Amino acid sequence: MINAFLVFNGQGQPRLTKFYTQLETSIQQRLISEIFTLVSNRAPGSCNFLPLPPLLAASGTSSSSSSATEQNDVPSLVTYRHYATLYFIVISTSTESPLALIDLIQVYVEALDRLFENVCELDLIFNFETLHATLGEMIVGGVVIETNMERIVAGVRAQGAVAKRPVNEGSRGGGGAGLGAMAAAGFQGMGGNFVWHGR
Amino acid sequence: MFEKSLYDLIRGLRNHKGNEKEYIQNCLKECRSEIRSPDMDLKATALLKLIYLEMNGHDMSWASFHVLEVMSSQKYHQKRVGYLGAVQSFRPDTDVLMMATNLLKKDLASSHPTTITLPIAALPHLVTPSLALSLLGDLVPRLTHSHASIKKKTVVTLYRLALVYPEALRAAWPKIKERLMDKDEDPSVTAAIVNVVCELGWRRPQDFLPLAPRLFELLVDGGNNWMAIKLIKLFATLTPLEPRLVRKLLPPLTNLIKTTPAMSLLYECINGIIQGGILGDGEDFSAREEVASLCVSKLRGMVSINSDPNLKYVALLAFNRIVTTHPMLVAEQEDVILECIDSEDISIRIKALDLVQGMVSSDNLLSIVSRLMRQLKASSSALAQQQNGLDGQDLDDSSDDGSGRRAKSPEQAAPLPDDYTIDVIGRILGMCSQSNYANVIDFDWYIDVLTQLVRIAPPPRTRLDSDSLSSSKPAVDISEKIVNELRNVAVKVKAVRPAAVRAAEVIVSRLNTETVSSRPVVSGALKPLAWVVGEFAFQLSSPDDTLRNMLGLVPRVDYPEVLATCLQSIPKLFAHVAGDDQALWTPERKSSLSLLMARVIHVLEPLAQHPYLEVQERAVEFIELLKLTAEAASGQAPSTDEVQQDAPLLLTQAIPSLFTGWELNSVAPGAQYNVPIPSGLDLDEPIHPNLGSLLAQADSLMLPTQGDDEFEVYYNQRPAPTSISSGPAIERLVDAPEEVSSSYQQAGEESYLDADIVARRKAERRERNKDDPFYIPDVSSSQTGTSTPIHNILQKENGPDLDIDAIPIMSLDLEKLSVSGPSRQQQHQPRQPRQKIVIEADETLGGSGGNSGISTPGGRPGYDSENNSDSFNLTKSKKPKQKSLLQFNSSVLGGLSLTDEQQPDDGFAHERQQKEEAEMAQAMKEVQRLRLEMQRANERIQVAQGVPVEGIVVAKKKKKKVVKTAEDTGEGAAVVVKKKKKKADTGEGKEGEGVAKKKKKKAPRVVKIDDDEGEAVGSQ
Repeated sequence: MINAFLVFNGQGQPRLTKFYTQLETSIQQRLISEIFTLVSNRAPGSCNFLPLPPLLAASGTSSSSSSATEQNDVPSLVTYRHYATLYFIVISTSTESPLALIDLIQVYVEALDRLFENVCELDLIFNFETLHATLGEMIVGGVVIETNMERIVAGVRAQGAVAKRPVNEGSRGGGGAGLGAMAAAGFQGMGGNFVWHGR
Repeated sequence: MFEKSLYDLIRGLRNHKGNEKEYIQNCLKECRSEIRSPDMDLKATALLKLIYLEMNGHDMSWASFHVLEVMSSQKYHQKRVGYLGAVQSFRPDTDVLMMATNLLKKDLASSHPTTITLPIAALPHLVTPSLALSLLGDLVPRLTHSHASIKKKTVVTLYRLALVYPEALRAAWPKIKERLMDKDEDPSVTAAIVNVVCELGWRRPQDFLPLAPRLFELLVDGGNNWMAIKLIKLFATLTPLEPRLVRKLLPPLTNLIKTTPAMSLLYECINGIIQGGILGDGEDFSAREEVASLCVSKLRGMVSINSDPNLKYVALLAFNRIVTTHPMLVAEQEDVILECIDSEDISIRIKALDLVQGMVSSDNLLSIVSRLMRQLKASSSALAQQQNGLDGQDLDDSSDDGSGRRAKSPEQAAPLPDDYTIDVIGRILGMCSQSNYANVIDFDWYIDVLTQLVRIAPPPRTRLDSDSLSSSKPAVDISEKIVNELRNVAVKVKAVRPAAVRAAEVIVSRLNTETVSSRPVVSGALKPLAWVVGEFAFQLSSPDDTLRNMLGLVPRVDYPEVLATCLQSIPKLFAHVAGDDQALWTPERKSSLSLLMARVIHVLEPLAQHPYLEVQERAVEFIELLKLTAEAASGQAPSTDEVQQDAPLLLTQAIPSLFTGWELNSVAPGAQYNVPIPSGLDLDEPIHPNLGSLLAQADSLMLPTQGDDEFEVYYNQRPAPTSISSGPAIERLVDAPEEVSSSYQQAGEESYLDADIVARRKAERRERNKDDPFYIPDVSSSQTGTSTPIHNILQKENGPDLDIDAIPIMSLDLEKLSVSGPSRQQQHQPRQPRQKIVIEADETLGGSGGNSGISTPGGRPGYDSENNSDSFNLTKSKKPKQKSLLQFNSSVLGGLSLTDEQQPDDGFAHERQQKEEAEMAQAMKEVQRLRLEMQRANERIQVAQGVPVEGIVVAKKKKKKVVKTAEDTGEGAAVVVKKKKKKADTGEGKEGEGVAKKKKKKAPRVVKIDDDEGEAVGSQ
């Protein structure tokens, strides 16, 4: 299962936090900052998986000794992807497929790109409700329910029109670099290994 | 009044860079008032802003009631904000949730699909058992809603409901199964169901075997890779239960492996085959052989050097799973896996380490540990460079990116995070100490590694809450663990004890000289160090210096436990330094000893008022003892030329005899449990009949606070002089020239050991080989003085002016020397295995066989040393497991059977509960009615008596009456109570039995003291 889905920018400011188990706000923030430290220290060319942050590792290792079935409940995998100015993080248990999670993030970003038409960080800042809605069409309660782009986009649109970013903001903002372009590039970049057919 | 929208808030945030805090506080204040406004639009906007701020870490739990208000709005876009607020901000202790039940019911029955979706998607975040119970009836019908998106979300929500309230699944499962079996069902609903079934599957695989045919069908013609991955994962848990599935699965899986273009599916196929035990031995041998080699070769390809880092990582994950079932398959890949330890990517490194830890043997331990040491050394020196800033030419060169990149020396490595360093050190210790050091061949090497590790170890984290000097110690102090190992080696391996003690000596002196004298010593390493130097004082090379170092360290020690151990070691050292009964009692000795005693007393005196009792007691004891001795010493006149005087007996006999006696051996962690309780001992009997009052008295006593003490020390006493230690010779070798070639048997140990350690190793090697005529010493070293006997003789005879190399005793010159390097290596090699070392096992009492697998005497394979993770795990797993952060708790599902169709008596508990609830409601109504009647009657009486109606009186009476009536009303309530009682009874009975059994077990144990001490654990 998926334990949490996070989006934050290169300065560690959260843009979306979704925890599928209830957690104190302060602990949420600590976890985010721990993951941010890990993620921002990654060398280029590293893999898309992070070692467990200390907050999770402390509990994770202690239970690794217990039965293998118990382990399936404990978050053991932190997957991330980096697009332009943003980091997308998925914390999950071992029942999820690591490589599929990488693609799941890709689907999410592409869906956002469809909804916003060439999405950038600013869109996400000003429309974080749409971010939640899009995620809600893909994951409910930590279980993936949809991976088909058309259906995700249709589901979000059914809930109401997606607002565009304020016109005057786009040119001013520093974080306006196109995420959508990155999403497309990212897909090609990984394409050698992660080609999906029949999605 | 001007109101901000979310857009304004965000813009404001962006425009207030620098004083965001103030701005946010203002916004929060505004939100607080806005959210109370009756205008729903304003309320919803305020809530949206609060949600945004919550994401940035500003608590909004206070607003939970307003969240409910917005949730109940008629307008969809406001309702949506309300639900989002609930999802993001409600916590297990949010109490307004009770009030939400009806609202959720209403929204679940809404005619708009988008509105229905809101509660369905929010429920997984909010659900509690009682909420699940009351909403189950409304949720299940949504499984047949006309919209596919509602169906698939409902499936998942029902699963989450079942996690807190398992009975939900029993009610919903038939419907979910129906959806799964329906071939005309929307594919995305089927995929969602498969996802849920996969989550359920690993808990209770046996319940899902009947579904196998349908699942197989989906796998073969599903055409959805995401679903196929989940199906394979599910099948991997099913095959162990139904081996016949294997034959059916192999063809489609091999087909997928060969044809799929999606790497993730390929990986999961391989993973599934391995995990599902399909690789194992079976009848259809040739086919499996083919699959096995196919899988392993694919995985090997993934791990190999040039592959995608993600594949490397997941392949290591797969290996980590295989290693428990098929260690042989993994061992064959040792070469590529070891390569991963040096990967630049920490994630990959850690996974590789996990693997390697299980693969160590005496053959590869050395190479694995040296790889890790090299990493640590490089990172710590990089860190040191960073901290030192720009001093020295080397650094300038390396920061110049051109030369820095060309020179690919490990010094350029980026510093590793502390957590990783600690992790790696822990693993090194674990690997080496595994099975009572079975894998360590060369203990001298191990001691050097430990010495180096102490230097590399990151300092313990400074305590954030340093408000008190109490016994709060940092949880993980890796340097303490390292030195614990050193202590273990010193105790267990007698052959290298002198070396271990000397290593401890060096560390102590470094600790004293290298830390700032004004700063407290926080290293937990001091504790085992102090024990080693104290216990084995006779093996120190310079006990005087060590005593001086310890005296310098003690006043700066922060942690009382460490201090207590140090206190014990000081008199031991003192006894060794002063207690020589052969030496003459000369005036010099007398004066130097009285000075030393004065010094020790001076250091100990402040500790006599230490708040920690153990420290206080030890300090007082030793101070008094030393004062007595000092008196005796001053009373004893020194021996003159005529009169031979003996040293005071207190000094030479009494004090040393305190610490000499039986040699201490290590005791197995479980040994204490094996000591039988003497028949006459009753542990429940109080030690003192009046213990309670004694303790109360002790509490009322005021202990002098440390503050006064420090004040006094600061103004009235001289600070303890920090000794300018002369240090052992090894320290001075730091600057010794290093022209020697590095072709010794541990090739490249210079790369991870500090220069001084390497120098000492070389010196020792020279020492060892000085009588070996075939051993050719270094020319450079011959000039430093330690060399062959011939040299010594010559030097003595001829004086230092003579150039020894000019004398043609051996016609060898430098070139030949360097050529002869390899041969020297060959000669030396066989020494290692011949070294026979006795490693003592922990002592324990007999009969530990069944006792939780705690170590057994004789260093059997089951044995684990103190620092070894396995033994830790054993004890840990016994403790009630702490729930980890973010963890789902699906254990409740384990007890729920889905195939056993509902038995009439205990099935459909939720219905029964509903019935009970209805009864309860009825009873409550009855109570209410009675209460009203009573109240009225009361009022009538009061009016009749002319007493004014007083609220308090009435309230009191009301309460009493209610309790009474509740006791003797409705049968439903009574039934419930009875049931609970029954449960409690049975629970108690079981507990009682358990206790009885335990007692039985303990009593008749035969005491047998194994005489295994000193049993040879040869390391051939």
